[in-house]
Amino acid sequence: MMTFQLYGDNALLINFEQKIDSEINAQVISLANTIEKAAIPGVTFSIPAYCSLTVGFDPSLLKLDDLCDKIKTLSSALPMASQSSKKRLLKIPVCYEDAFGLDFPEVMKQTGLPRQEIIALHTQRQFRVFMLGFLPGFAYLGTLPQTLYCSRMTTPRLRVPAQSVGLAGYQTGIYPSEAPGGWQIIGRTPIKTFDPSKGSPFLLQAGDIVQFHAISVKEYLKIDNDISSNTFNWNSIYE
Amino acid sequence: MSEPVIFHFKKPGLQTMVQDLGRVGFQAFGVPTSGVMDKSSAKIANWLVGNPRENPVLEITLLGPQIEIKGNCQIALTGGNLSPTLNGNPIPMYETIQVDSGSILSFGRKLGGCRTYLAIRGKWQIKKWLGSYSASAHSGLELTPDSIIQKNSSLQVLSQLPISKRLYSKEQRPIYSRSVRVRVLPGPEFDSFSPLAIGHFFSRGYQLTPDSNRMGYRLDGQIKDFNPKREVISSGIIPGTIQITNSGQPIILLADAQTTGGYFRLVNVISHDLDKLAQLMPGDEVWFSLISLEEAKEALKEEKLLF
Repeated sequence: MMTFQLYGDNALLINFEQKIDSEINAQVISLANTIEKAAIPGVTFSIPAYCSLTVGFDPSLLKLDDLCDKIKTLSSALPMASQSSKKRLLKIPVCYEDAFGLDFPEVMKQTGLPRQEIIALHTQRQFRVFMLGFLPGFAYLGTLPQTLYCSRMTTPRLRVPAQSVGLAGYQTGIYPSEAPGGWQIIGRTPIKTFDPSKGSPFLLQAGDIVQFHAISVKEYLKIDNDISSNTFNWNSIYE
Repeated sequence: MSEPVIFHFKKPGLQTMVQDLGRVGFQAFGVPTSGVMDKSSAKIANWLVGNPRENPVLEITLLGPQIEIKGNCQIALTGGNLSPTLNGNPIPMYETIQVDSGSILSFGRKLGGCRTYLAIRGKWQIKKWLGSYSASAHSGLELTPDSIIQKNSSLQVLSQLPISKRLYSKEQRPIYSRSVRVRVLPGPEFDSFSPLAIGHFFSRGYQLTPDSNRMGYRLDGQIKDFNPKREVISSGIIPGTIQITNSGQPIILLADAQTTGGYFRLVNVISHDLDKLAQLMPGDEVWFSLISLEEAKEALKEEKLLF
């Protein structure tokens, strides 16, 4: 079920059923991809989110009503979300040791779980990239099991190191660059999820599936070194 | 045929940066659009020197830089009036200015508005990132080092054959006031607000608080009768969106705002009026008028006629 709403004077907001749900998010991404492929003249950008899609347009080239009609036509022919294009699975190594897992004491307190149990819960499940936002390349991953629910820090950190892995509510995420932020940090990945020197600087996109696995500090440093010296086998993170 | 003109920044000013019409199309990856805050002033400045409207300009805020210019070139200044001078002599805004090699361009007292746009005729020799020259709001020095002006930065522009002088008529130039009224359309969560809250929002003016910047203007005050019982699931943000924080404070999100947010979006400032907001500084006042879609369409036509 979609509703269309004018958003400012040069964007359209398409709302789906308002809940955080993989199936609904898959529909959002499928519609965003279909609109992109259709290359409608006058469409300037899109922002897929959990259960909404913002589509920008240039009103001098495209009328709102025409845009709505085009999108309705496209959406009626959407592939079923479950059958849509194959998902990518990325296996991301995370070092959960003290040097990087800055907020373990707080997360243990909030969840009442021992450290090993938290790591197990964070690595057992496959998470979906619901959307990117907040910072260039910041992926919102979910959904965490209920037992890992953690509220944000009451006072955000002024500098969270790049590639830190954090928890907030039922979400987990990777900081693509150093930034202020309030997520509870439990580890760090040596994998750069944002590399501005590359032609396509973003490792993750909405709809990707991510599974974390635990590595030691030694393994972290090895991968970090391989990436810096350009000898890292990037194919190793794709399943 | 063309030789580089060098702009050497002896003083950088308070916030001087290279901007163009923005980095549109990467919002899906969380990249803010950035770009000039006052689009019409930037387009007029480029027109005055015969550049394409997409060309970069310098956005100069409140306290201007001091620039030594090596090479003959043509420049133009538009937007807020920061008392520009060339070799100590006041120069007019809104017209093509011929600059001789060795000149010093400086700025002085703020006379109106707060953002000046400096266009330079020719091709700017700086790197783009993701299709735009605009200084990035995040990790700007890393991602767009050429676009953030610091002390002793230098900017090279390949000059082109001069054009004959252009002038933007006085009648068409904006007049800046420290209290402005901007037009808004209902935002995505407009219907979640009570009539009392909406009535209260439109009944008063708001001052910009000191922590207002290119990401957003925080307004003083709380709207009444607003007790959100649920959260908005994070959704797209576009420049001009006015969100209301859980404490009831309105924030106008602008060029450098993040691409998604989870606060209630009460109204959206129409794109034409964002240029007016761009010239406000902390302490200045803004009022809002709710308009219909038809009126917003008229405003868009009006903008096309102007520039």
